[in-house]
Amino acid sequence: MSEAQIRVLFIDDEARILRALKALFRDCEVHATTDPAEAIRLASAHDIDVVVCDQRMPKMQGIEVLREIKLAHPRAMRVLLTGYADLNAVLGSVNEGEVFRYVSKPWDNAELRGIVQLAARIARDTPLVLDKPVDERDREQARKQVGILVIEDNAETQQRMREILTPHYQVRFVTSPERALQVLEQHETGVIISETAGQHGDFTALIKTLKQYHPHIATVVVTDRANAQVAIDLINEGQVFRLLLKPVRMGSCRLSVDAAVGRYWQLKQNPQAARRYFVAPSADSSIPSWLAGSLLQRIKLLPSRLLGMARAH
Amino acid sequence: MLEIVLLVVCVLLAGAAVVMYTRGKRADQRVAELNAELEKMQHTQSQVIHTTKLASLGQMIAGVAHEMNTPIGFVKSNVEVVRELMNEHRALLAKCIQGFDMMLAADLTQPQFIEPLRRTMTKVRHALATDARLPDADELLKDSVDGLQQIASLVRNLKGFARVDSDGMDLLDLNECVESALTIAAHQLRDRIDVDKQLGALPKIHGIASQINQVLLNLITNAGQAMGDGGKLTLTSKRNGDMVEVEVADTGAGIPDAVLPKIFDPFFTTKPVGEGTGLGLSIVHKIVQGHGGSIKVRTAAGKGSAFTISFPVDHALLKKPA
Repeated sequence: MSEAQIRVLFIDDEARILRALKALFRDCEVHATTDPAEAIRLASAHDIDVVVCDQRMPKMQGIEVLREIKLAHPRAMRVLLTGYADLNAVLGSVNEGEVFRYVSKPWDNAELRGIVQLAARIARDTPLVLDKPVDERDREQARKQVGILVIEDNAETQQRMREILTPHYQVRFVTSPERALQVLEQHETGVIISETAGQHGDFTALIKTLKQYHPHIATVVVTDRANAQVAIDLINEGQVFRLLLKPVRMGSCRLSVDAAVGRYWQLKQNPQAARRYFVAPSADSSIPSWLAGSLLQRIKLLPSRLLGMARAH
Repeated sequence: MLEIVLLVVCVLLAGAAVVMYTRGKRADQRVAELNAELEKMQHTQSQVIHTTKLASLGQMIAGVAHEMNTPIGFVKSNVEVVRELMNEHRALLAKCIQGFDMMLAADLTQPQFIEPLRRTMTKVRHALATDARLPDADELLKDSVDGLQQIASLVRNLKGFARVDSDGMDLLDLNECVESALTIAAHQLRDRIDVDKQLGALPKIHGIASQINQVLLNLITNAGQAMGDGGKLTLTSKRNGDMVEVEVADTGAGIPDAVLPKIFDPFFTTKPVGEGTGLGLSIVHKIVQGHGGSIKVRTAAGKGSAFTISFPVDHALLKKPA
């Protein structure tokens, strides 16, 4: 970054971790504390660019700290640094903390530096979309206009989603990646709701790739194949917007989908802000063969309906 | 007439014999069936106990792995950073050496060379003398030695906990067992629960370390689970006459009266299906009994429970000169 130094805030209950991170980020303006309440104050007081927070702390869990910082100082990008992949923490970091990356301890120095630098650049250059409630008329319009695509091949869940969603939204249901692309090519789609896998295979590679090339689409993953590592990958490689566990509940499902529609609607008016949900395209070697060929081409060629949308590479 | 009577009697007797024979045979068959069933049940039970052992092994590994992630995290980072700091410092040194070389090669009779050289050298010397990299590196290395010691003690604890090197009876210090089990359970307690240790001086007891550790881990884990919203875990050890005792007390939910008589029964559990085998406390009970000890429980609904395990002191051991 050319201008002033990156301002980064580290929160961990272990002072030796903080000293290590201070030394690692010695070319940045570093603030560090073991006290979560102090952290929330520091974030706004020093106009922090990036917050890196431990998950397991005695006074307050990391996701709570990040949720508070998100409210007090939304401009900062949030990274969770944790020694233990605990599914609830991962879900919380998505649904409440809306973290940019989830990093496991022991971390890789070069990787962590890269993440913080990228996050800081985005925090500085990218306008913020505030999660302020859209007014009711706007919301109605968004519901009418924004297409929702559900990728789910379990008939029972599909039926349940139909009951919950069709009265309120423009919903289309598909059971395979192939059909999903057809819908995406034909209809403006702002929200994708998907399982992590179907009977015939994995959906996560599709979810991630779509996000990598079309970061304005909000993804809601609804799964009964809960697994912390899959969830972490969905954050780091797919910037998933919400992660819900089955059985699908009417309340949380409607809330999440409404929030996702709102997010898409705001990004549509403010396309530059989509960079806040940036994920780099996966290496070719990690893309499964069924996706690597023509499907990948079709994903890349999907009409970017949002003008001025920065392509993710 | 008599023949007929005799014949009837004979037929009756034969019939009775046949009936008796088949009955006996059926009984034999039933016994064999029961034996087979018993064998099957014993097999299943030993399988379940084995699974429980594996589950507690998994819990142990997860616990220690988590405890190690923190020190490994900063030690690994520090070592890399110290290397970078050394390289940066070395670059500064190289400049200084370059200056020395120039000074040695310079014509000292020519003051117009000396003055700029002196100015440069003074600057380099100052930079070298005030370079914060060395004290920074020193601090990072101090933390790293600390962290490595922490990792070493975790590994020692783990070895002590599992005692794979010894399956037989040993002389045990119960306080050491408490510390071991606490380390293993630490990651389950740390965020929510205050641990208060009141460990008194204890004579050693005869026992199998891995089993006693398992007992303590089970009791500590249960206590932790009883305090879902946080609380205080008190571990007290003391000598009580001919016995040594360890009490594991929580400030959790307590055990309802209706449940209390069943807590040591195998397969009894109040946890949802898939979360508990119902074997934890039955194994605890079995191990404590196997060591000639006993287990007591005090509980009050809403206030907490306290499990006390006590083991006999070995008198021969006490009389033996040190």
